[in-house]
Amino acid sequence: MSDSLISPDDTATAADPMPTRRRSRLRASLANDRKAQFGLVVLGLFLFGMVFAPWLSPYDPNAMTMDMMSGPSLGHPLGTDDLGRDLLSRILHGTQISLFIGISTVLIALVIGVALGLIAGYSGGWIDLVIMRYIDLQWAFPNFIIAVYLVAVFGTGLVNVIVAISLAFIDDFARVARSMTLSLRQEQFVDAARTMGFSNARILFRHILPSAMAPIIVQGTVSVSYAILGEATLSFLGLGVEATTPTWGLILADGRGFISQAWWLGVFPGLAIMLVVLSINFIGDWLRDVFDVRESL
Amino acid sequence: MSGYLLRRLIGTVLVMWAVATLVFFMLRLVPGDPVAAMLADAGSAEAEAALRTKFGFDKPVFMQYLYWLGNMFQGDFGNSLYGNNQPVRTILAEALPRTLSLAGIAFVIAIVIAVPAGILSATRRNTPVDTGVSFVAFLGLSMPDFWLAIMLIIVFAANLQWLPAIGYVPLSEGFWPWLEHLILPAIAVGTAFSAIIARMIRSSLLEVLKADYMRTAAAKGLTPRMIMWSHALPNAMIPVITVVGIAFALLISGAVVVENVFSIKGLGRVLINGILNRDYPVVQGAVLVVSAFFVFSNLLVDLLYGVLDPRIRYS
Amino acid sequence: MTDDEKKRLRAEWTAAHDFDPRDPMLGLERRELCGPRMSRRATLRLLAASGALTAAHLMPGPVGRAMAQGTPGGTLTCGWAGVAEITTLDPAQIGQVLQFQVTSNVLSGLMHINADLIAEGDLAESWEVSEDGLTYTFKLREGVTFHNGDPFTADDVLFTYERSSNPEKSIHSSVLANVANLEKLNDHEVRFTLKQPQASFLTKTLERASGRAMTIVSRGALEEMGVSQYGLTPVGTGPFRITEHQLGQGVVMEKFDNFYDPERPKLDKVIIKPVDGAEPLAAAIEAGDIQYIGGNPIAAQLIDRFKQNPDLVTDVKPGPGFQSLWLNPWVEPMRVENFDKPLEELKQEKGFQVRLAIAKALNRDLYVQQARFGYSYPAHGTINPAMGFYFEDDLSETSEQAFDAAGAQALLTEAGYPGGEGFPELELMVRPSEKRDGLVIANILNQVLGITVKPVTTEFSVQIERFTAMDFQLRLGGSGGDYDPDDALVDWMMTESKFNGRTRDTDEMPFGFFSEAEVDRLVEEQSVTADPDARRDLVQKANRITSDKVACGFLYHPVDVQVRHKSVNFPAVSRIPGLNDLDRVTLS
Repeated sequence: MSDSLISPDDTATAADPMPTRRRSRLRASLANDRKAQFGLVVLGLFLFGMVFAPWLSPYDPNAMTMDMMSGPSLGHPLGTDDLGRDLLSRILHGTQISLFIGISTVLIALVIGVALGLIAGYSGGWIDLVIMRYIDLQWAFPNFIIAVYLVAVFGTGLVNVIVAISLAFIDDFARVARSMTLSLRQEQFVDAARTMGFSNARILFRHILPSAMAPIIVQGTVSVSYAILGEATLSFLGLGVEATTPTWGLILADGRGFISQAWWLGVFPGLAIMLVVLSINFIGDWLRDVFDVRESL
Repeated sequence: MSGYLLRRLIGTVLVMWAVATLVFFMLRLVPGDPVAAMLADAGSAEAEAALRTKFGFDKPVFMQYLYWLGNMFQGDFGNSLYGNNQPVRTILAEALPRTLSLAGIAFVIAIVIAVPAGILSATRRNTPVDTGVSFVAFLGLSMPDFWLAIMLIIVFAANLQWLPAIGYVPLSEGFWPWLEHLILPAIAVGTAFSAIIARMIRSSLLEVLKADYMRTAAAKGLTPRMIMWSHALPNAMIPVITVVGIAFALLISGAVVVENVFSIKGLGRVLINGILNRDYPVVQGAVLVVSAFFVFSNLLVDLLYGVLDPRIRYS
Repeated sequence: MTDDEKKRLRAEWTAAHDFDPRDPMLGLERRELCGPRMSRRATLRLLAASGALTAAHLMPGPVGRAMAQGTPGGTLTCGWAGVAEITTLDPAQIGQVLQFQVTSNVLSGLMHINADLIAEGDLAESWEVSEDGLTYTFKLREGVTFHNGDPFTADDVLFTYERSSNPEKSIHSSVLANVANLEKLNDHEVRFTLKQPQASFLTKTLERASGRAMTIVSRGALEEMGVSQYGLTPVGTGPFRITEHQLGQGVVMEKFDNFYDPERPKLDKVIIKPVDGAEPLAAAIEAGDIQYIGGNPIAAQLIDRFKQNPDLVTDVKPGPGFQSLWLNPWVEPMRVENFDKPLEELKQEKGFQVRLAIAKALNRDLYVQQARFGYSYPAHGTINPAMGFYFEDDLSETSEQAFDAAGAQALLTEAGYPGGEGFPELELMVRPSEKRDGLVIANILNQVLGITVKPVTTEFSVQIERFTAMDFQLRLGGSGGDYDPDDALVDWMMTESKFNGRTRDTDEMPFGFFSEAEVDRLVEEQSVTADPDARRDLVQKANRITSDKVACGFLYHPVDVQVRHKSVNFPAVSRIPGLNDLDRVTLS
């Protein structure tokens, strides 16, 4: 079982080998989806913040002053923290880390997971058996728990956290990709390709993969939000990135001992996490509608 | 059916064994010496040697593993490396009711909110009610549970002082003291779960309402209320049953985090502290128990699904 | 303090130290060591000899000594700070102050020291010491019962001794190394025979709280409940009996009706809850969920907040201890292979220049303000202000490592890193709870020297392993219980000190973090020097060398804070340093 919102068994209808039609459908449905619009705008803002954080930040995010725990003001729009650092600058820099981890982990998990799923589904036999035994093992646990185990073993730090979260998400992608492959393997265009003598790799990556992309994209989008939440939670528990890296979870964890004297330390970083995750969820929901991937659990 | 059950049971046990083995070996590869930590304050060389022998750290890792596995089959999970070397079984037995209490109350709160919300949202599709429910559900899904926990403490414990900020009181000391300590953490744990169920019920109900037999029922002249209660809801609940399994995943992993905020020494806190302290036997025991939850609830869900949906048959 | 008080203090101090340490009887007469209680003079002498006497001991007690006593009865709920669970209460396993703070209310020893610094018989009614100082004969209190109803007899002393001298069962076995033999004379008399005369035997080995080795355990209860359950709910003969203990939830103690002193305890019930985290602790005492704080030192940011609260009594004094920035001398670019050179010669070495630059760059006043919210004292050596008489005020200005930004920059330039250019990034090992401190240090070093220091939070278990193996670059850490120069110097600053690279690779590293022959000599000499002025000179000399030659970058001395609700009467007679004895506490 997993946090995944996509059931791999219900996605067979989603195959849509005509990308142009899909694109126009995207645009059309966006026009009447307020949530998706909100999501895209907010996420866009955060992405902007992520790219331009060094220029947008009013202060160096790690610069300490004796102006400790002063409330939101003109000089410090979101106040300062317990070491006199500007909270806005820290949250802006946190955007970089959080979005970077969210996106990179999902990309890694997607590449590995989809490859495993394709190989398992297409080759069948003992390869399928071995891969799926492992995937089933992982599937038995929530992604977050797996990430906790892995960080505990590898240790903390940016790279280790990325590895842990990536590995934790592999099973979701593998299952989606495998079930898509299983159903597509029987399709005529795959048969045709096979009779034309194309290599397995070519069939897999040129024919099956593009047709399986829709549910994978939806899964990927949703996973980004879980990865961001996961990173924040790991950091909060002391299992995350280095102590000096301002990530949202860490800013919250650091501020925890001071929140009754400085509420802003508890409120703003949490709001940032919530807004980003909410936006991604909205976008995921919209994509799911567009691609007609049935939501399931 | 019984053959299937047996196969699933064996598979389940194998999964748990695999997990335990992986954790046993991986935890021994990482730095951190529990004996050094234990003797940090006052320790002579011979006391240290005695402790190492006592815990079998002087034997090869593989021997330690066999030794441990043998003990486990006898129901002995070993002892904690710290403090008074409490048996892991006792630690887990104490932690279990805390996590179960927390998960149970979170489950109840979540269902009480989610079921009406889901029905309301499906029957009033595309009205402001639906939009509102959907938005709140999205918020619940997007909020980090530990942040929600902190916010709840600030508002209801620190400022309003309605409910205690931390801790756990066992049920044996009275229902209210027990419940009062669990309300805030349960809300923090249950919110995301509640949001998922509400959305689940909504989409499942919508699906069912579209089905042919609903039109048949309407044609037979049944009132919409009767259709809802005797046809639509029971059918819509079938996929929702799977959330019983999801419930464990979400509630247990939620509890891991939230227990830490509220200083409740449940399974999650035992697990995290065990990991941070490199308390091998505790981590192994906690992982086994947590794993058992997930694995057996998966099994349960599969079987339940077969009972509820006559179309699924196991051979 | 009035002049009279100063005079008294001085006189007591001198008298306490007026002994020849080579004399195992410390100049005390045999009869002075005997008794149902010892004179204050003898106790002070013994404390001084075992390295446990501090000026703080001699200070007049906190105000309210004659405070109207509240009525007996009632329940006191305490929060034990900075701990998620009180893992063990088995005296054989106890290693933390916060643990024996609890057991001192539950278990007894043969001796206990009260806040007036008079060593009294606890379970010992009286005792005799032989002429040669080798045998101690104890008359045990009669009619004492354990919480489970078993009578206390000489067999229990024997059983405790057997258990505690077995290294497999007790981590304190070395405390009993000097005992040759213990025999039972009759049910209420025992005799210890020592290998060497040891006057401090009474206050060091037999003291119930700090001793731990001879804290009397109940054989019946141990056999009935097993070791691990006994570690949770130990059975003893103390004023309170533990009725419940769930890990992570807390300890419940109730008045023991058959305690040997019918006047104590006053309270009916005491609940001890471990409270991890600053905010929950503050919320709990502000909301009245707890009325007393024990356990680990509270977070610095809470002190002002508690002081401003009219419902709370907050008592701040200098604490015994020091915290330092440790610099591994086996790591480039701060490598120093030999400290046994004149200072001027050392200052020509690049590695030493870097060490000194870092130590000199520590702006301790800023650090105390930012990291400790003003509640700490800048440190330049291990000798702390709570040691009063031994503490040297001048060191903050005259030490080589006194803060001097320009001097530090010049040294770093001389070492080849002008403005920190080309200086490698260094890792600073800190515990999770000290992360703020690590960040402030990193910031100060970056501002002053332009070098990058990265704080890495490491769990205690990993940190101790790496520290004693000298497998670190920089580390923040120190001691919290140095009551006497011996604790500070012998445990930390000598080549053979127990924390000085005990598990390092001795082929690669001939010594641990510091080794200086002159320091070793001075420290050895001071511990056998009776004359306080002479001893002070030796201590301060050694302290100054460790400071000048940068044994580490000394940072701060912590404060000792007691917080309680104003309704809690905590008589001065119970304010024993480091303990929370609750048997005389009342509520009003």
